Amino acid sequence: MDLLPTSEQEEIVGSIASVIAGNHTLGEPLDDRLWDAAVAQGWLGLGLEEAFGGVGYSLAEEVLLFQELGRACVPGPFLATVLAARVAAEAGETELAARLVAGEARVGLAERWNDEKFSVLDAESATIALLVDGGRVALVDLDGVALEHIPSFDTLVPVALAIDLDESAPLATAPDGEALLRRGALLVAAMLAGMARATTEQSVSYGIDREQFGQPVGGFQAVKHRCADMATRAEAAMCQVYYAALALRDGRDDAQFHAHAARVVAARAAIDNAQINVQNHGGIGFTWEHTAHRYVTRSRVYGSALGTTHGHLGETLAASAPH
Amino acid sequence: MNLDFTPEEQAFREEARTWLAENLPTEERPPDGQPMREFDLAWQKTLFEGGWAGINWPKEFGGKGLNDIQQMIWYEEFARADPPFTLNNSCTFVGNNHGGPTLIVSGTDEQKSFHLPKILGGEVVWCQGFSEPGAGSDLANLSCKAVIDGDELVVNGQKIWTSYAHVADYQELLVRTDPTAPKHKGISWVICDMKTPGIEIREITTMSHVNDFCEVFYDDVRIPLTNVVGQINDGWRVTMTTLSFERGTAFMADQVELASVVERLIEEARVRTGPDGKRPAIADDEIARRLALARAEVAALKAMTIAGISRTQRTGVPGPEGSMTRLFHGELHQRVYQLALDIIGPEALKLTPVDGNGWTGPYLQSFAYTIGGGTTDIQRNIVGERVLGLPRVK
Repeated sequence: MDLLPTSEQEEIVGSIASVIAGNHTLGEPLDDRLWDAAVAQGWLGLGLEEAFGGVGYSLAEEVLLFQELGRACVPGPFLATVLAARVAAEAGETELAARLVAGEARVGLAERWNDEKFSVLDAESATIALLVDGGRVALVDLDGVALEHIPSFDTLVPVALAIDLDESAPLATAPDGEALLRRGALLVAAMLAGMARATTEQSVSYGIDREQFGQPVGGFQAVKHRCADMATRAEAAMCQVYYAALALRDGRDDAQFHAHAARVVAARAAIDNAQINVQNHGGIGFTWEHTAHRYVTRSRVYGSALGTTHGHLGETLAASAPH
Repeated sequence: MNLDFTPEEQAFREEARTWLAENLPTEERPPDGQPMREFDLAWQKTLFEGGWAGINWPKEFGGKGLNDIQQMIWYEEFARADPPFTLNNSCTFVGNNHGGPTLIVSGTDEQKSFHLPKILGGEVVWCQGFSEPGAGSDLANLSCKAVIDGDELVVNGQKIWTSYAHVADYQELLVRTDPTAPKHKGISWVICDMKTPGIEIREITTMSHVNDFCEVFYDDVRIPLTNVVGQINDGWRVTMTTLSFERGTAFMADQVELASVVERLIEEARVRTGPDGKRPAIADDEIARRLALARAEVAALKAMTIAGISRTQRTGVPGPEGSMTRLFHGELHQRVYQLALDIIGPEALKLTPVDGNGWTGPYLQSFAYTIGGGTTDIQRNIVGERVLGLPRVK
């Protein structure tokens, strides 16, 4: 039993982080160079079987990828596109799966807004939507769909409302929507765990650099203890995400519980830490110029993507006892 | 990254389960005094005779020499057997988890051969002599002094919060042997025989009605110099060795046990009438959500514990990251018992023992989990300074 990444996995993480660092600036929209690099590195099919054009790694490596995407607060349709490639592959739409893995079509995430409309994340660049409705997951063509673009809470995650999203003729339907959603929820949890870690790192670095009363503010227990709590929440989230990834990968019978638990713990960690990170930065943290607010809005957006924390909490209690 | 147990670990689990089913005491642990001591030592003897004492102690000192994963399996099987007592709530804790391990690392051959078999065999009780009225979180500020006189140390001063001192045979005692040196450099770690003349023990009753919390007074207590562990004035380093065990596996039993407490509480909420006086407690939204969160967080706690083991496997020594697990555990443990009192309704009017399956006694005892073994404030300092690298400021 070993919960932490192997040295090979550490190398994968290192290479992902350096590709992101070279092609993305925190607070900027998705750079096409990063999308192209992601495709070249096989990220969009990292956990997909080779037969479907994927790299053939497991959910564990995919979780490490999404943790890094969350940590660097990378915007863009990575989550929905990766999940869409899997839906297409599992539905036997091999050609579509290959196109998605090749980054030729970007996928927006469509979930219920109300009884009539769906919200679509990343709708500006997307040509396909990953439509989640109850336990059903399908890919639908956005061509010809009327989209109402609304001001987005996270300015780097454009949101549109779709009124006439047609579910009747999907490009592909996930054979097991629930399983796909569990996998998706875990990837969301990984992004959130990465955000929780990033905000801890921001606060620590500011606590070392910023001086008041003639000393670094991170020396004061009021700040130091908040940072320690942030680190602890981030650690809990990361460990539970890893555990759940392995449980799901290995098909353990308590894997569902662990995925829901990971989603709950990671969302709370990401949101709490993002909020406290603003406070730790004082005035500069409240400015648009500073990037602290990016994690506030991003953690909120993904903290309610693919199911609310409330819903995942319910599932956590409804599951049979984990072992 | 894998969750697999090796065939040896699987076999170990089976063996532990079978043995526990046959040997676990069924009677309740006496709450205090000599009967409690006899109960705890009898269990330690049973463990020893069954070959289960010192699971992570090296084989050459009579232990089983097993790894941390097996230690965790043992705690899991212990919790699963539904014991009538809590593993760490025992007067054998300090010997097994502090004194013994410290002697293994820093003791002389004579100290090891005399004390280690007695600790493992359930013949003696050890207590800790660290905290003082003026040295709590600031442990290095301790002032209980010892002066060398011939081949003896003469100790004068006071210790406090010494659990089980009233039933102990030996004490791991920190004394100031050089009052002129910087505070971390003038401390020595000595083995104190609790029967030595000049020692007076007073019991302190805790808020959870337990009398095993003591203060100890030393009036010209003479301890042979051969009882010093490590070198004179090198006690702080020896102490840090001891405390690294705390960060490692000493509290793993509590962490594992909490998972079964939460499952028991969920059962309780299913059968008890809830706050509306009609439906079961679990039908109440707020209670359900708090239970769900507790279950999720206990899962995360287990994952943190395993990650800690994985880290130790890579580096060889338990690192400061263990303080995050302790901090998370202490506060979660308290939230679970706070929730329990909200669930059990009028039953909360009845006092139950600190051990066993009641809720009010363990609730009162839960306040210790953010104080004992280094307060959560100290754990946060350790995380801030030694994990995150934030500056230390006076």
